[in-house]
Amino acid sequence: MAARKKLDKATRLATRQGLLVVIVCLLTLEATALLQYYYSRKILSEESTRRAQGQLEATKLHILNVLDQVETAVRNSQWSVEQQLIKPDSLSAVTVRLVASNPVICGSTVALKDHMLAPYSHEAEGTILTSTLATEEYDYPHQEWFVKPLELGEGYWSEPYFDEGGGNILMTTYSVPVVDKKGRTAVFTADVSLEWLSDLIATVKVYPTAFNMVVSREGRIMVSPVETLTIEHNVHDLASSMEDSTTFQSLNQTIMAEESGQDTYKYQGKLHYMFFDKVPRTGWVMSISIPEDEIYGSIKRLGAMVTLLQIVGLLMLILVLYYMVRGQRELRQSEEQKNRIDGELQVARGIQMSMIPKIFPEYPECADVDMFACVIPAKEVGGDLYDFYIREEKLFFCIGDVSGKGVPASLVMAVTRSLFRTVSAHEKSPQRIVSTINASMSDMNETNMFVTLFCGVLDLKNGHLRYCNAGHNAPVLVQKDGNRELPVEPNLPLGVLFEMSFTEQECDLSCGTGLFLYTDGLNEAENAYHQLFGEERMMAALKSGLESRQQIAAMTDAVHAFVAGAEQSDDLTMLYIRFMNSQITEETERHLILHNDIQQIPQLAEFVESVADIAKLDVGMTMSLNLALEEAVTNVIMYAYPPGSDGLVDVEAVIREKELRFILSDSGVAFDPTAAPEADITLDVSERPIGGLGIFLVRNIMDEVTYTRSDDGKNILTMIKKLA
Amino acid sequence: MEVKITEKDNVMTAQLIGRLDTAVSQEVATTLQPVIEQANKTIVLDCKELSYISSSGLRIFLTIRKAAAGKGGKVIVRDINNEIRQVFMMTGFLNLFEIQES
Repeated sequence: MAARKKLDKATRLATRQGLLVVIVCLLTLEATALLQYYYSRKILSEESTRRAQGQLEATKLHILNVLDQVETAVRNSQWSVEQQLIKPDSLSAVTVRLVASNPVICGSTVALKDHMLAPYSHEAEGTILTSTLATEEYDYPHQEWFVKPLELGEGYWSEPYFDEGGGNILMTTYSVPVVDKKGRTAVFTADVSLEWLSDLIATVKVYPTAFNMVVSREGRIMVSPVETLTIEHNVHDLASSMEDSTTFQSLNQTIMAEESGQDTYKYQGKLHYMFFDKVPRTGWVMSISIPEDEIYGSIKRLGAMVTLLQIVGLLMLILVLYYMVRGQRELRQSEEQKNRIDGELQVARGIQMSMIPKIFPEYPECADVDMFACVIPAKEVGGDLYDFYIREEKLFFCIGDVSGKGVPASLVMAVTRSLFRTVSAHEKSPQRIVSTINASMSDMNETNMFVTLFCGVLDLKNGHLRYCNAGHNAPVLVQKDGNRELPVEPNLPLGVLFEMSFTEQECDLSCGTGLFLYTDGLNEAENAYHQLFGEERMMAALKSGLESRQQIAAMTDAVHAFVAGAEQSDDLTMLYIRFMNSQITEETERHLILHNDIQQIPQLAEFVESVADIAKLDVGMTMSLNLALEEAVTNVIMYAYPPGSDGLVDVEAVIREKELRFILSDSGVAFDPTAAPEADITLDVSERPIGGLGIFLVRNIMDEVTYTRSDDGKNILTMIKKLA
Repeated sequence: MEVKITEKDNVMTAQLIGRLDTAVSQEVATTLQPVIEQANKTIVLDCKELSYISSSGLRIFLTIRKAAAGKGGKVIVRDINNEIRQVFMMTGFLNLFEIQES
């Protein structure tokens, strides 16, 4: 649960970090986009201003050029008019010439101040006609073009107007005052059609939807995008058609007051930028209006695309972050799991190590034996084991190695060690201990794991060692006169064959003799060059006379020096036992294990004779004992086990000064031979039964015969013969 | 264990050599079957070189003795050593057999 919480916390943290990344990205992108937008807008604004102003300037120059042409033509003819004022009839020749020689000028007049005389020439369909303006209804002395130049005393450009007589075209008139030496005063005019102005303005196209306007100095509309608005209308009429007329009004006031500039107004719901410039002399104001969209449309489209890209980018970023967070979580989970398994392996290691005795000396009160053992574990849990303990003045010990490594091996190791303890608790024969463990392990060995095991029982009273090997390395006998391998039958490892019959062996250890047991982690220890430590180096490191602790330390140093830091691949287990009892007691033990086969009887005879030798018995006593033993053993062989099945008979002989004790044990059906009726030896030949003599002989030869059935299902027959 | 059977003047002599223990008793019993069949004669069991006898051997001896008793023959056990004599004494066989020293 704690791990789960920790995990959630880590995930929340990762999510928060991811969010932060997204937010930072978003802010950076937005800031960049805004900055870009701001500068693009500025550039576009400057660009539009530059373009509009350039256009205005060029157009203004064009207009001024036309105006200059007119003014120059008028000035050139002014002298002629002055000379002709004295004879007014010839004035029309001047006006005709002026109109004829200047295509821009479509009409001209010279109007006298003191007389109602005003000959007027104008172009009509290719010819120049001359008429007079001095009519009652026209009343030229009150016309603006006549009054203003005289007032001002200089040339004057009239407000544009429609020439009603001359073909409905928009016109303006340039008029100058003329005074001759005699004080005769007149006004000399040139009419200019403004059609070219509309054409000129129409060519000005700053942006596709931009539009241009020209208004007179009095606010009359000369050129406008709205065709219905003509010179009869002024800007107030235009303003009244707009939704925010006040803005436009104030705009026009600005326009009228200033030479040039720019401003904004709303038209048809859109913001328009207006640039304007005033033409000198005529006071015409030209303006270019550009809708905001036109200027900034591209930037808005760009902005939309950038925003779209940003959203897509952010979504992808979020997706990537999501997968990263999830990936990290999975990684963390697998790490957590690995850590947990590692931790559990450590615990398993601990449990395993706690199973084997580690405190030395384990039996400080026992001076008969000096023992030390050590396990140098490889990295992972392994399958090495050793165990020992003292029971009834006998040292039970074993060393073993489970095939394979890791948890399975350690489990098998634990099972093996438990079996050793359980079985050896009521069994003195190593052969039987090994056989029983083998049977148990073969029975449940579904994984084909096997164990090599060396099992020994050392009699601490006399140094007699009984041992049984199940495929393990032969231990080394360390003696003063040199080291040698203990002769062992290899047999098969435990767990291979259910009905494997193991051989028991025995030997006697003299005082000071050491027994060195090891697992293949020692002789197969590898250095960096893949060379093995080997038996030779091992033998060389074993020194008779060293205490067990020193011996193990010396061997450890030797193997460490050899491997020189190369990684250990297998557990290394060593057990060193030194028999230290110099006072062998008078008691001696011998053992024999037989199968339930009558052909094994001669082996029993040899065994009894060897016991008789130790006890120094005479021939008669030897034969009697032989007979008793044969009878007892035959009884077991014949009747304890079902016919055809394999069974064992264990014969133990204890030789003491005053008595000989034979203990027979078997795992067959319960049978008490001592309960059999006594044979009657006094009967006649015909009445005498054939059988029943075996037990009779045992009873008669031995001094004491007792039968017990043990708790673990064994028949135990103890036979004692007193010695004189 | 070795058994030699000889017949001379209506006397069957079985010479027993070695150890007569349970392991060989079955074989010895088979070998001595002709002797048991002629139990109407005098049967001499020569034990001069018999070193050891177990109860299974004693059973063979008893079987021969019973056969002789049934057929009117006679069984003589000759030259048993002290150890076997001890066993015979223990089992009451001394009373069942005629023991001779050569």
